[in-house]
Amino acid sequence: MPDIWGQAAILTKLLLYVGALGASGLIIVQVVFANATTSLTQRLRNQTVLLTALALVASLLGFMLRGAALTGSADGMTDPEMLGLLWQTPVGDALLYRLAGGALIIVGSLMPRFGQWVALAGSVLLLWSFAKVGHVADIGPFYMRLLLLLHLLGVAFWIGVLPPLHRLSQTPDLLSQAAKLGHQFGQAAIIIVPALLFAGLGMGWLLTGTLSALIGTGYGQALMVKIALVVVVLMLAAANKLRFVPAIQAGDANAARHLARSIQIETAVILAVLAATATITSVLTLPN
Amino acid sequence: MKKLTLFALLAMLSSGAFAHSRVDTTAPHNGAVLAEVPTEVSFNFANDIRLTRVEMTHADHPSVQLDLGELKSFERAFTLPLEGMGPGIYRIEWRGLGVDGHVMQGDFTFTVE
Repeated sequence: MPDIWGQAAILTKLLLYVGALGASGLIIVQVVFANATTSLTQRLRNQTVLLTALALVASLLGFMLRGAALTGSADGMTDPEMLGLLWQTPVGDALLYRLAGGALIIVGSLMPRFGQWVALAGSVLLLWSFAKVGHVADIGPFYMRLLLLLHLLGVAFWIGVLPPLHRLSQTPDLLSQAAKLGHQFGQAAIIIVPALLFAGLGMGWLLTGTLSALIGTGYGQALMVKIALVVVVLMLAAANKLRFVPAIQAGDANAARHLARSIQIETAVILAVLAATATITSVLTLPN
Repeated sequence: MKKLTLFALLAMLSSGAFAHSRVDTTAPHNGAVLAEVPTEVSFNFANDIRLTRVEMTHADHPSVQLDLGELKSFERAFTLPLEGMGPGIYRIEWRGLGVDGHVMQGDFTFTVE
């Protein structure tokens, strides 16, 4: 069991994941599905700014909590020596990428016209920060970092479609747009989901190495819990794609309610996946 | 669903060892039983680290912070002077930073008879 600073670090990381992946996802989804999301532009922009603010606060708090973990007391959070030390390590680089990426997203979200490309660049920078620090950066060759970025872009895209799809499916006048967005995402998912799984399982394999490490170590077991939760998300997504979205396209109003409910459940399970990930990347040592 | 999330989080928190505490050897070693109080404690780590806090607890006394003095660089081996507090169980808790930015921590105990 990690100490209080370790637990606070996990919760902060979870908030960082929600903010960074959510904001990046909303940006990507608006670029890729511009037509199906036009009626929600203002709303999605506000959500993007809020999620980015969450990511920025969580980044700073996470950095300060590491200072506390170094001294074992709260005064480490503002100890210039501890924070200065951390700043010189890859943790400092990651914080810099997060602050710069978050700032670009907010500036881009407030800019007309080309703003979305600025925001998109910001979200790539923000997600790349995760490849700067942690297990993948420690032991992995460079292509591992690219795999991680690919994985995160896919996860963000998936998460980013949920808020607009949920909103559209709850607005009776916009059901046709919900069906359109759901259908288009379903098409994209045929490519993205296998890529996401390939990148995730590939990294998992490279990090754990052997089947016995997967079964016999805390790290491997936590990874399997995460994969089991991902399977639940996949099943919900399959139900959305194969059942609810076609039913909405066929004009079934009840199906929209089912879809909205399914998205709520999917969101809760995704939160559990992110919580598992925050734990795996924070407190569990690699099997080797 | 909230319960499921909470459950998953708690399940995660309680599994596995707290990480990144790869201390190779200490002197005295963990669990050692000594006739006299040692005048120093030393640590050998698997990788370079910068020690940031070392605390000693003796029996029921409140813990005291050991002076890290001029130890301000990343090293693998550290030796710190120890002020003896008589017989009893000593517990040394350490915290440090790896060059990769990982926070490391650990502890060991020894007994003086």
